[in-house]
Amino acid sequence: MIERYLVQASTFAADIDFVINLIAVLVGFWFFLTAGVFFWLLFRFRRRDGVPSEYITGEEKEHKRFISIPHYLIMVCDIFIIVAAIQVWVNVKQDLPENPHAEIRVIGQQWAWTFVHPGPDGELDTADDIVTVEELRVEVNQPYVFHLESRDVLHNFSVPVFRLKQDVIPGRVITGWFEATKTGTHDIQCAEICGIGHGLMPGRIVIESAADHAAWMAGKAPNQLAATVRGTTVAATGGTKLAAASGDALNAN
Amino acid sequence: MTETARGFRVFPVLAALALVVAAPAGADGAADGGIAVGNVERGETLFHLCTQCHGAEGQGNPDIEAPAIAGLPGWYVLSTIQKFKSGGRGMHPEDYAGMRMRPMSLTLRNDDDVTHVAAYVAGLPASQPVPLLEGGDATRGAALYAPCIACHMPDGSGSAALNAPPLQNASDWYLLGQLKKFKGGIRGSNPLDPFGALMVGMSQMLADEQAMKDVIAHIMTLAD
Repeated sequence: MIERYLVQASTFAADIDFVINLIAVLVGFWFFLTAGVFFWLLFRFRRRDGVPSEYITGEEKEHKRFISIPHYLIMVCDIFIIVAAIQVWVNVKQDLPENPHAEIRVIGQQWAWTFVHPGPDGELDTADDIVTVEELRVEVNQPYVFHLESRDVLHNFSVPVFRLKQDVIPGRVITGWFEATKTGTHDIQCAEICGIGHGLMPGRIVIESAADHAAWMAGKAPNQLAATVRGTTVAATGGTKLAAASGDALNAN
Repeated sequence: MTETARGFRVFPVLAALALVVAAPAGADGAADGGIAVGNVERGETLFHLCTQCHGAEGQGNPDIEAPAIAGLPGWYVLSTIQKFKSGGRGMHPEDYAGMRMRPMSLTLRNDDDVTHVAAYVAGLPASQPVPLLEGGDATRGAALYAPCIACHMPDGSGSAALNAPPLQNASDWYLLGQLKKFKGGIRGSNPLDPFGALMVGMSQMLADEQAMKDVIAHIMTLAD
């Protein structure tokens, strides 16, 4: 249903869509049923001349069953939702790929994304890292582990085509993964209000074939900035001090 | 967009700059050294967003690295915003303040709006920012300033013809930050910022931070 409007481009996108659809169908069924019963009752027992209304306390069993029976049925539906959700949570959030193709660092700030890609050596935090702003490049059909950091405030790394949405919290390094399944260029969004420029925090992910990715990498000179970015984030501080470093205009840079 | 495609976008910007420089003063334009730019009323409306960082009077805010912009020439404000819009500035991963400015520049949807806001900023009364740096030697800085004279003029008034902005009312902390960015290639290394590239070379003449502070101390004596 959702994929008709937004392409599924990760291995877990379909699983997440399934849970969303399951919730929509079950909750939607009860919503329309109860709304229908409600309006039917309003119509069926509408005011009539000479017919006094009856006051019901709702304590009688024959009255309560109209609440309790749907309640139990909805709880059964909840079990289906919880089981499906936990299954997806474990698959997407609990487990990391045992042999990721590469690790990448994603750094959020007001109001831009910085991406640190491993260079040709495939290792992050080495001299050949490639640092880009606004553009993340990954290889299709390869699992990636990402590390999210923030230089200033709360952000949210959202890749709608992956059905990936993860808060980026100052002072923490949050690790996750994805594996793209289709080539193409798609939006990256910040999904957490992060200031006046939040709506214009641009980013895009370019998913490309192994050959295209290698060609892009070959065209990039090793970026010495990577060492600086690394040194002022996790390795040096155990957290994110770039905000302080960048904000201290008198002494930084 | 490829870098080549982006590169072509710089020419309309330069053409717009040339028109701005060449245009005579108009009734609806802000005074900008005899240059008319944009509609000030529309510019004031657009400027409301800018006040979040640059302040209501364009006085700047060093706490968030937002420089004072009041009274800057319209041509410089215009070209700077266009650079941010095109990605010529604010795309370097270490230019944290520039990366904040770039999305804000994208809120100006077309060249007319950029021109209007530039006109308003140019009309704001400039004031000498409070010095925040310490340790600069203005006497030594006067000698170091000699190469800067060619573009920024002896009195720091700048030159539109040479695309050199005035330095007279610039904040000392901002100048230091920009000199460091030029020297480190954080600013001016983007192909879409050819005039910034000139400063990358010039900044290499300042050996270290002390030299930068010295030359800035001299610039701070060049009151408007």
